[in-house]
Amino acid sequence: MEDSKTTLLPDFLLDLSSESMRTINGGSFEPRELSTAEISLEEEIDEDPAINLKDTPMLSKPTPIPATLGNCSVVAVDVSSIRVGESEQGLLYSLRGALVWREGSSYNFTRCGPLTFHVNDAIARSLNKRSYAKEDLTYSAWSPMTERVLARLRNTLERWMQKIACSRFSKGIVLLDGSLTAGTPDNPTVYVEELLNRARENSNVVIAFSKETRLCYSGKRITRLLDEADPPCILDIDRLIAPQFPSTPVRLMGRVYVAKLAQISFPFRVDIDRQLPEESGIAAVGRLINSDLVEQGYPETLRLAHILSTFTANEVLAIQRHLSIEYGVRLAPRFSFRRSLFGPFGTSTEAS
Amino acid sequence: MKIYKKQGDTIQIICPPEEFVQKGDYLLIEDKKLRKGLIVQVVDIQFANLPGILEDILRDVMTEDSVQGCDYDPFRVSSQIEVLKDTRLLVCKIRGAIDDGRPRQDASWLPSRTASSIVPYPIERLASTKDGRRPVTLGRTRSDILTVDVKMLDGKLNIITGKKGVGKSHLSKLLVLSLVKNGAPCLILDINGEYVNIGRGKRNEPNPVAERIFVLTPGQNLRFSLAGVGLRAFLDTMIYALDLPRTSSKVFSRIWSELERSGNLNLNALNETIRRFGCHESVREAIYSRFNTLLDLELFTDDPSQAFDFSFFEKRMSEGSAFIINMKDEHSISRRLIVELFISKLTEQLSEMKLRAVFLFAEEAHFYLRETYWDDIVTRMRHLGVFTTFITNQPDTVQESVYRQADNIFMFNFTNEHDLDAVSKVAKIDAESLRLIVKDLPVHNCLVVGDIVRNFPVVVNVEPLNVQTMGQTRQFFQD
Repeated sequence: MEDSKTTLLPDFLLDLSSESMRTINGGSFEPRELSTAEISLEEEIDEDPAINLKDTPMLSKPTPIPATLGNCSVVAVDVSSIRVGESEQGLLYSLRGALVWREGSSYNFTRCGPLTFHVNDAIARSLNKRSYAKEDLTYSAWSPMTERVLARLRNTLERWMQKIACSRFSKGIVLLDGSLTAGTPDNPTVYVEELLNRARENSNVVIAFSKETRLCYSGKRITRLLDEADPPCILDIDRLIAPQFPSTPVRLMGRVYVAKLAQISFPFRVDIDRQLPEESGIAAVGRLINSDLVEQGYPETLRLAHILSTFTANEVLAIQRHLSIEYGVRLAPRFSFRRSLFGPFGTSTEAS
Repeated sequence: MKIYKKQGDTIQIICPPEEFVQKGDYLLIEDKKLRKGLIVQVVDIQFANLPGILEDILRDVMTEDSVQGCDYDPFRVSSQIEVLKDTRLLVCKIRGAIDDGRPRQDASWLPSRTASSIVPYPIERLASTKDGRRPVTLGRTRSDILTVDVKMLDGKLNIITGKKGVGKSHLSKLLVLSLVKNGAPCLILDINGEYVNIGRGKRNEPNPVAERIFVLTPGQNLRFSLAGVGLRAFLDTMIYALDLPRTSSKVFSRIWSELERSGNLNLNALNETIRRFGCHESVREAIYSRFNTLLDLELFTDDPSQAFDFSFFEKRMSEGSAFIINMKDEHSISRRLIVELFISKLTEQLSEMKLRAVFLFAEEAHFYLRETYWDDIVTRMRHLGVFTTFITNQPDTVQESVYRQADNIFMFNFTNEHDLDAVSKVAKIDAESLRLIVKDLPVHNCLVVGDIVRNFPVVVNVEPLNVQTMGQTRQFFQD
């Protein structure tokens, strides 16, 4: 993997990063404020409302996951994004991806980035040109489009690295963070199809783990369905979900399950490549348990990918310093009406 | 470097890793607009507490052994992460200021946080006395040679302290040689026989002051005559070194005076007179037992050719010499007795103005100095002209009043908290600075505080000395 690490980042993303950052050259920029007490820097996107699945008495019982012999390679990909500051024309975001693989008992990783983007109209136009989606993005600062542009950038990097994982490994398990649902403008189906094809060509099985799910059944999160179940087990909920998306462009590229992989563990929503026979998919989960640590029910490889890609506050400071050295941006606190009018009483916790 | 915070006389400075700063270094915070500068000394170096640093390090710890890998960082941002991880926080104490080019000890203003420049400051500019008439190079600071005037030891009370083997005696020898070179009289109470070769170089060649150095070894070339010592000094010795009760001392005075009057003051006559003197049995017994102790130590003689000549001592001391009393292998009573005798005699000579002053170097003084002398040395004897330098590796044995009154303190490394507690009573520097700097001093480096460095505490790597090393612990294994 090390020899080919340059291919882990697509050239057009590198160019896009450089181009977008040139638009800020010499300008002023308000760095994101960081405090030593800050617990999480993760960009939490507002959660959509819950999707209630239709109650049906037909819900099957959890299937025990059969024990398997032999190990296989496990590879996981995760990408993180972080807001590092704000210019007069837009926002500054950084992305970083990590690819972690386990062979035998050792873990290895390649980490790519950070890549920083000046998210503004120019970058929205560049993304539109490349987009497979029909919908165009029009950027304006502080609009919901910011999230859309960021989601598209992040998705581009994530899918690229996932595709590489599916291509470079064979007869293994490729773990993704999130689901195998695609078809939104920022998460086009074509990318997911491509990576699943590559995986199948190389006899890999793609399994996606969602830490959060909006799916509810009988008023409870679907993960609660395995509260009483004996692990390792898996519950097929695919037939409950499919009717939820009858006429939307959104496609479920994976068969959806809830899985509990270890004693004293959390259940997770798990998506397995739909084109694989159901038994092969469940057997792949068995191979995963045999080939990786699944403390708390979550694969260690995927956990490491998350840890390695996540930004810390110190890294945000380093990126800010890099920007001021490399692009000559001046760090300047943004003028705040609230602060100006109310002084120390103009707190951020005050209702607008 | 940038100012981060100021609290009291402490200033915290953010320092990038490429700047090499050590504890004890001086910095100048220069505010060009105000044409003023603040002189600060680095007393501690910490890592800057940046947001997210704990997570960063936790991740490194979690992955460093179990996960192998590499980073592809096309824009080389990670170098900035390393810089931030190694960014340091310098805890500094304000030591003075420069106002329109003139140094001042007080600083009641603050430099600009944003517009000030912070640069290393060669403190020798302020602390040294290169233009003095009696210069001595104490050693090197990080920036330059530190030269001071030995006059700064004149009339002063000094302490040299530090744990074993860090270079206390070395510095003490340097001071003695500088004083003698400049014609000052020195008396060295040498408990380990470390100074006996101070007049000779490492190749045994005599140094320029060799002829002015006299080594006195008790029982060999140091024996006393009763007449030479005199009643007062002898009686002081009996009282303070041998605990002779006051009533008995009065009887002893009468015996001495009778023999002196009859011109028969010698050891045999004294012995006989004590035995047959008409007084209470218990008094006689008290005097006799102590006198016998004195005889057993063989420190006294009736032979004038063997007896120590105090007039010779006066003469040579007045010309500028060092007398070393080698008390190595001496019994504790013998040590106390010799010191008592010498100090008593010295006080007598100084009171009578036969001597102008004496620089007394006392190694591990608690072994031979009686309790009442500590206060005496700080007060009365100092006014008479005894300027003492205490050298010890047991700082708690030196009385607190000595620390409080000390004019110059030379502190070598201490790691033990109890020792640091003892030395932190020094009045010339705040306890926090002292503890933080002294704890990390390398061998042969000392923190100099006091008048000799114009009250700017300076860390000095003590000048090497071409003197034969003595006083090393005897060892069985020779390899």
